Amino acid sequence: MHHGNHFYGHAHVLAEYCGLDPEDPPRINGYLQHGWNVSDGLGTGTAYAPGRTIFVWSEQTRRRAWSMGRRQATVVGAPFLYLLTFAAPPDPAQPREGTIWYPFHGWENQGVRGDHRRLIEEILATEPGPVTFCLYWHEFRNDRIRAEYEKAGRVICHGYRGFQWRDTETRFLHNQLAELRKHRRVASNRLSSAVLYGIATGCEPAVYGDPMYLAEEHLPTADRIRRQWPELHGTNPDPAEAYVSAMAELGDGYLASPGELRALLGWADDLVAA
Amino acid sequence: MIELIGGEMPAWTEDRPPVGGALLTELAGRLPAGSDVLLAGPHAPELIDAVAARAASVTCLVRSQPEAIELDRRGPTVLCGSLAKVTAADRYDVVVALDGLDRLCSVEGPQYDWMEGLQALKRVLRPGGTLLLALENELGVHRLVDPATVTSAQSDSAWRPLGEFDTKPGNPTRFAERLAAEGLAVDWLGAAWPVPQAPTMIATPNALRDGPVDALAAAAAGAVGRAYAGKSVLSDPRRLAAAAVRGGLGPEFAAAWLAVAHRAPRPATTLPLPAVLLGDDAVVELAPPGPRFSAPSGGPGAGSGTAPAGGWVRRVVRSVPGRDLSALTGPLPAGRLLEELLLGACLRHDLPVIRRLLTGWTAALPAATADNVVVHQDTYALLDPSVPAQTDVLRRFAATVIGGGYAHPWPAANDVPALSVILHAAAGLEDVPGVPAAGPPPPDSRREHEEQLRALRRQLSEAASRVQWYERELDRRDTELRKARMQIATFSGSIGYRAAKLGYRWVGKVRDHLRKGQ
Repeated sequence: MHHGNHFYGHAHVLAEYCGLDPEDPPRINGYLQHGWNVSDGLGTGTAYAPGRTIFVWSEQTRRRAWSMGRRQATVVGAPFLYLLTFAAPPDPAQPREGTIWYPFHGWENQGVRGDHRRLIEEILATEPGPVTFCLYWHEFRNDRIRAEYEKAGRVICHGYRGFQWRDTETRFLHNQLAELRKHRRVASNRLSSAVLYGIATGCEPAVYGDPMYLAEEHLPTADRIRRQWPELHGTNPDPAEAYVSAMAELGDGYLASPGELRALLGWADDLVAA
Repeated sequence: MIELIGGEMPAWTEDRPPVGGALLTELAGRLPAGSDVLLAGPHAPELIDAVAARAASVTCLVRSQPEAIELDRRGPTVLCGSLAKVTAADRYDVVVALDGLDRLCSVEGPQYDWMEGLQALKRVLRPGGTLLLALENELGVHRLVDPATVTSAQSDSAWRPLGEFDTKPGNPTRFAERLAAEGLAVDWLGAAWPVPQAPTMIATPNALRDGPVDALAAAAAGAVGRAYAGKSVLSDPRRLAAAAVRGGLGPEFAAAWLAVAHRAPRPATTLPLPAVLLGDDAVVELAPPGPRFSAPSGGPGAGSGTAPAGGWVRRVVRSVPGRDLSALTGPLPAGRLLEELLLGACLRHDLPVIRRLLTGWTAALPAATADNVVVHQDTYALLDPSVPAQTDVLRRFAATVIGGGYAHPWPAANDVPALSVILHAAAGLEDVPGVPAAGPPPPDSRREHEEQLRALRRQLSEAASRVQWYERELDRRDTELRKARMQIATFSGSIGYRAAKLGYRWVGKVRDHLRKGQ
């Protein structure tokens, strides 16, 4: 339906969960929320066919979508949680150490404004152990920005999100899960999907530092997020409280069974054949 | 023997059936034995027979002469005429007026209002005599869902269609007070569902207040559901009835109230009147925990006792041939009706609860419809174990959701087949039954029609916008495709052209060379 359904290999993860070919997920009968947000689940300005289902992560997001006039929302939970149900369990022999730090990222049409150098200094002053910087592909491909971070620690990228079904790193979430499991802490200067995923895999969270801003970003929204989820902000929030909040945002408890998900996404046998 | 007392209607036949049914027959059968009984107004033959079986004498008062002749063939003494012409005083031990007071006066002579009618019936009672009287509730659920207006009635019997403008009491408390004011002490009072003519559920206000309210709400919903299957109504009476009972307004929204009252002095024997009676052929009695059913009476609502809710038991008090009702005897299952729990969870979009209920239901009682299952914590029990096994129960629940216009968590599934597939998957079931099983039709509700119309309009408007959206997308893609094709043509044209040109030159050179060589 929309190329956003394939971002980060989300459709591929759901196909694998449903027992279908993860390399070739069938068309999803609607729009899948591709990242955590405080809107209706879809990104601002997503062109979407009227009346089509949007598959959102959490009940709270569904309520928000409803209040915004989007009646067709169905809660399915985050694809990352589906991945956790079938991914190989973590290797107990592998130690978890240091922090994986996700600087707030921009995308094709919106760059980030902020001072990366000052942020790096703050991170190094705060984090107790080694820091892995996980850059979004947008910043990772920028040699100047990447070089700034490489001076301070290991720099990685989980892969290209994909665009118009091209060049998608279909194992984006798998890569992310593997990296998160290597670290004891997950941190960012903005509450984001990555922080929530980290919490879901057992990382202690932290959200601090210059939040930076997107070009033409709606600033009150960023402040609203801090007010709404104080338990997920700061350099050392209570991990237990953070876990409860994060899992609610990811739709824990709302995951559909493979059979139900196939029916919801239009992947039931007869529907796929048609 | 027919006695024409005056005011009789020689060519009149009542245009509504007489009051009757299994429950009223059961109730009438519990009146004092060996009495002289007056049945005032049209009563069904089986009810008259039940009274006659215990009474010393039975007299029937009807205004229709043809019906009087019909009754006369069955044996009782028949008084044919208007209540105003009944002159006997202190004549009967028991007066039964389960049809209410509306059909006691004929077109001739005085038109008694409710109070005058009551006074006339009281006059014929002997001291210590018992009155069994019904009173229709003008604000009962049966009235609230009725598409017809009582006060503009067109039927031949509606020569004075007073409806809610009548002076009769409007709630059970006032009913009891008006009886007491006439010197008739109330021994028992019951609220009757779903229609005054033939109740299939009677419960005392005490039982509705302190008893197993969820089971009673479910029973009330079931009673109105059966009575209104396929009938035209303003809104679904099942939901109104259940909501009223659950909300503590069961007596206020019942179709009718029944009272047993006596003239002083208090009779020596107390009547075994029930806390709750259920049934449309077989009759089941519910009773609070205690040593026996139908405790002695002691005031309005007596019989339900003062025991705390919970631990209620039931027994079959009247069985019917060919039906095994043994499963109905024993403790009443506790809990809420599955159908209501599921609908509530759908409205809250509570997917975890919906999945738990669907899975638990289909594992525990796959052959019971959602309106016959009560859920207490993780226990699923049959509300009425005598109902035969059913099939295709999930699809029937899907039909309830879609037909009732209820919001649910899968808005894309806006028809019964699509929702059935999802419900089966959510219940963990692989297959959807191929052939839908037909259940009883739901009430044909105007409100649901409106909702369906609204939903269809919305779907149509969304479909229209979607078509426009697709057309715009198609235009965009066509433009992209045209551009791509032009690029392909340009590049492939130029390469071909160059290749051809090179080839042509080479061929020319070779030819020239050969010519020169000649």
